[in-house]
Amino acid sequence: MTSKTMNMVQALNSGLDNLMAVDDRIILLGEDIGTDGGVFRVTDGLLSKYGPERVLDTPLVEVGIVGMAIGMAVQGLRPIPEIQFQDFIYTAMDQIINQMAKIRYRSGGEYECPMVLRTPYGAGVKGGLYHSQSGESYFAHTAGLTVVTPSNPYDAKGLLISASQGEDPVIFLEPKRLYRASKQEVPEDIYKIPIGKAEVVQSGDDVTIITYGAMVPTVLDTVKKNNLNAEVLDLRTLVPVDKDAIMHSVQKTGRVVIVHEAPRTGGFGGEISAMITERGIDFLYAPILRVTGPDSPIPYRMEEYYIPNERRILNAVRKVLESA
Amino acid sequence: MEQQQKKESKQSEKPQYIRAYAAMVLSRTLDKKIVSAQRQGRVGFYTPTMGQEALQVGVSMALEKEDLVYGYYRDVPMMLHRGVPIETIINQIMGNSADTAKGRQMPSHYTSKALHFMSVQSPVASNLPLAAGAAYAIKYRQKKNVVVTTFGDGATSTPDFHAGMNLAAVFKLPLVFVCENNGWAISLPVERQTPVEISLKASAYGMPGVKADGMNFIEMYKVARAAIQDARAGKGPTLIDALSYRMGPHSTSDDPTKYRKDDVKEGSEKDPLVIGEKLLVSMDYADDKLLEKIRNEAVKTVDEKFDACEKIPPPEPITAFQDVYKNMTWMLEEEVKDIL
Repeated sequence: MTSKTMNMVQALNSGLDNLMAVDDRIILLGEDIGTDGGVFRVTDGLLSKYGPERVLDTPLVEVGIVGMAIGMAVQGLRPIPEIQFQDFIYTAMDQIINQMAKIRYRSGGEYECPMVLRTPYGAGVKGGLYHSQSGESYFAHTAGLTVVTPSNPYDAKGLLISASQGEDPVIFLEPKRLYRASKQEVPEDIYKIPIGKAEVVQSGDDVTIITYGAMVPTVLDTVKKNNLNAEVLDLRTLVPVDKDAIMHSVQKTGRVVIVHEAPRTGGFGGEISAMITERGIDFLYAPILRVTGPDSPIPYRMEEYYIPNERRILNAVRKVLESA
Repeated sequence: MEQQQKKESKQSEKPQYIRAYAAMVLSRTLDKKIVSAQRQGRVGFYTPTMGQEALQVGVSMALEKEDLVYGYYRDVPMMLHRGVPIETIINQIMGNSADTAKGRQMPSHYTSKALHFMSVQSPVASNLPLAAGAAYAIKYRQKKNVVVTTFGDGATSTPDFHAGMNLAAVFKLPLVFVCENNGWAISLPVERQTPVEISLKASAYGMPGVKADGMNFIEMYKVARAAIQDARAGKGPTLIDALSYRMGPHSTSDDPTKYRKDDVKEGSEKDPLVIGEKLLVSMDYADDKLLEKIRNEAVKTVDEKFDACEKIPPPEPITAFQDVYKNMTWMLEEEVKDIL
C-alpha cells in the first residue's frame, strides 16, 4: 500500500475519496462543501470528481441537512453530511436525538440509519463562543449514537472509513485545531481503525492519563517535556468507550488523570471517572483528577486560558503522584 | 368511441371507489373500537383519526405500490387502504409481541416497511426533512416512485416544515406534501396557527400549492393524483392543503370541550363517510344494501381481529433493549443484566 505525507484534512479527504470511489451509496451533503470544498477544505475536489448528484451544496439549514441525510440512509444510501461547525448543530438536535438515534429501535429493526455526521469541534483557532465548542457529551448521552473523535491524520482516515462502513449512525467529531497541526504517513488506499478501541499512545507505569481529540498532542508534549513515566490513552471512540483498555492501564498504574477540553460539569471525564471507581476502586492509590475546560463559554482573546495546558496537566499529575 | 371509454373508466372506477369507501368504513369502525377499548382500560392511549378518512384514502388511491409514505400518527385510513393488515395497526396499539416495533412505541406510532410506510415519530413535522432525503434517494437511483409526507396544520409553524419544503423545492424532488389540515393542533385553531391559508405558503418555495376538499374522497383523489403525477414526471414537489376536520379529541387524554364547541358530529352532512356514501349512491355505484353490507363486514372484521390481537402476549422483556444498535453495546449488556 503506497502512502503519502498528509495532515488531518488531507487524510479525511483521502478517506472520503476512497469511500466514494468504491461505493455509489456514499453521498456528501452540507454547506459550502461542493464548489468551495468545505470551509476547512475537507471535501476539496470531490465535487468535480463525483458530480453534483453525490456532493450536494445544500441551503443553510442544519436541521434539513441532518434530516435529509437520515431519509437517504433509511432508503439505502450511505450519506456523510457535514455540519460546518459543531456549534451550529443544535437546531438539528431533534433530528439527531429523536430520528437518527432511534430509527432502528422504533421500527423494531425494520429500518436502519447508517450514516456518518462529520463536524469540526473544539477551540484553538480563535473562534470565540460560536466556533469553538466541544459538545461531545450531548451526543454521548443519547443511546443509539456512536461517538468518535480522532487525534491524528492516520486515525482520522481509518476511523472515518470504519464509521461509514458500519450499520449505525456515527457522530464523527473532528478536532479542528489538529486539522493542519501535524503530518503523518497515511496510506492512500482504504484501511480501517476499529470503532470502540482506544490506543495506548505512550506507555508508562506511574500514572494513566486518559484523553482524546485535540488534547492528545498537548498531553503527549507535557509527558515528554517533563520526562513523566505516564501511560497516555487516546480513547478515539467515546461511545462505546473501550473499558478494557482503560481498566487494564488503571490496574497497572493505580493513578488516573483525565484530560478534555469540554467543560467539567457533565463532561465525559465524569463518566470515565465513575466507570473506573465502579469497577476498580481497589486499584486506586489516589483520587481521580480531571483537567478540563472551565464551566464558562469559550472566550475569543483569552482562549489560551480556557484550553487545558501543560501547567494544569502537570499539576494534576503531580498531585495524584504525591497521594499515598 | 368516447362513450366506450367512459364505460370502461366507469367499470374500473366503481370497484376502486367502493374499495376506498370500504377502507374509510373499516378505519372509522376500528377508530371507535379502539377509543371504546381505551375507555375500558384495554388500550393505553390512542390518537383518533375520525374525520380525516376521506383525505387520506384519496391520497392513497393516487399512490402506486412502491411509492413511499412518511406519515404521522393519524394515518390509519391511509395505511388500511394501502393494504397494511389491520392486525399491524391493532398489534401496535396493544404493543404486543406481534407488533412490528415490539411494543416499544406508544400507540399510534406505526411501522410497515413491507408497505413502505416509514415508522412514525412523535415530534411534529420532523418527518418532512426525512421525506426530502427519501425522495432524493429515489431521484438519485432514477426510480419512478414518489414520496408523500403527511402532517397536521400545526406542523406548518415548525422549522422542519420550512426545511423540508425548501429542500424539496431546491432539489426539485419527487415529493408531495399533504397537510392534513384538520383545523386544530390540540387546542389551537388553525387561524391562530398561521394568519395565511396554508396552500399560499407554497409560493414562498416556488412550488404549486393547492387547496383540496379533504372531506370528499373523490375530489381529494383527483387533487392528489395531479400532484403525484407531476412529482413522478420530474416536475418537483407540490403542497396540498387538505381541508378536513378532527372529529375526535387530539388523543384519548384530551378533552376538546375545554376549547371548542363546533364539533362535526358523526353521521351529519359534514361527516366524510356520509359525503362518500352520497357520492357513491348518486353515481349509481352503490345502494343502501351494499353500504350496509360494507359496514357490517367492517364491524365483524374489527371485532374478530381486535379480540384475536388482544390475546397475543406482551413482548419478551429483553426486546425492550434490543435494536438500539445493530449489536448490543457492552454498557447496555451490563445494564440489562442488572435489570432482568
